[in-house]
Amino acid sequence: MSGLLGGMLHPLAMPAHVLALLAIGLLIGQHEQRFIPLAAFVAGLAAGLGALASAFATTAAANVLLVVTTVSALLVALAYPVPVLVSVPLVAIAGAALGVDSPPEAISIAVAIATLIGTGIGATLAVAIVAAGTGFLGRPWQQIGVRILGSWIAASAILVLALRFVRGQLL
Amino acid sequence: MPANDAILARALASHRHRRAVASAAPLLLVLVGTSAAAHTGSASGGFVGGFAHPIFGPDHVVAMVAVGLWGAFLGAPAIWLLPIVFPLVMAGGGVLGILGVPLPGVEIGIALSAVVLGLMVALAARPPLWVAAVLVGAFAIFHGHAHGAELPPGADVVAYSVGFVVATGLLHLAGIAFGLLARWPAGRLAVRAAGGAIALAGLAFLRGAG
Repeated sequence: MSGLLGGMLHPLAMPAHVLALLAIGLLIGQHEQRFIPLAAFVAGLAAGLGALASAFATTAAANVLLVVTTVSALLVALAYPVPVLVSVPLVAIAGAALGVDSPPEAISIAVAIATLIGTGIGATLAVAIVAAGTGFLGRPWQQIGVRILGSWIAASAILVLALRFVRGQLL
Repeated sequence: MPANDAILARALASHRHRRAVASAAPLLLVLVGTSAAAHTGSASGGFVGGFAHPIFGPDHVVAMVAVGLWGAFLGAPAIWLLPIVFPLVMAGGGVLGILGVPLPGVEIGIALSAVVLGLMVALAARPPLWVAAVLVGAFAIFHGHAHGAELPPGADVVAYSVGFVVATGLLHLAGIAFGLLARWPAGRLAVRAAGGAIALAGLAFLRGAG
């Protein structure tokens, strides 16, 4: 999966990334002011993809992303009004980890760069759409649905972290 | 060889689980009119394997549905609090199971969850919210531990976990949907009868687990 379109679909093809995008999108969507955390996510994502393009890679990125996903999803489940000072670094770290954890499978530099740009666009669109959709869900039962979804994501991420620990992939 | 010990312990736990469910199968045949698929623990990984794991465990199914039924019966905020609390605490139990931390009486705890939660619905019990949350949370640990301990070694970690949690959540939602019938007198009777049936099934599971 390479090229601009392949890059756009890349975050949606990885279950761990889908969980992260959902959790971050829901968290941003619960905010009154969505633009600032969304901008922080995009900035973190750009930094992560930029680092990847500069040949920086770390296997810890996937674990960092899982931890941030867990925290974000728990905050969604609790529906706790998170201050911007907390949510901005959280989503920025998520963006950076997601970027670094998205190495392109490309055979040329041009295709690799196109793939990374596509990944950035795809991930940003996914988070923006989830956040905007969440913002529209104003009725109490809809907000409850968002919280339940948050608890499902958090539970899944917690189990994955435990499994990665047992398999020696966490530390 | 601690790894082999852990695998052996999980296999034994799975065997006990199968035996408990199998002994309750005749009652389930009567109660739900379906074949009593033993809770064997999925042999395959991925989303489908994780999704099928709770679905094909009758003891898990009835307890999850009971959580939803009770939540709907209790009304707000229990209707949303219980389905939020359960997956999170269940994940905690799942972590214990995955790490191989022994939890005594898992099968009994799972069977008791069906008995107690079914009785709560059947008796239309309305304890304080925190009591309901603690009760549901305590049973969630047993269910999570069983799922975590029976996880197939080669499973796709993320997809399996998501499938497993989503299936559990959907069972809750099925219970809530049915429990909403309690708004009407006839529906209330039907929901309480369902609670009684779940409690009876739990007794059969308990007999098998003992």
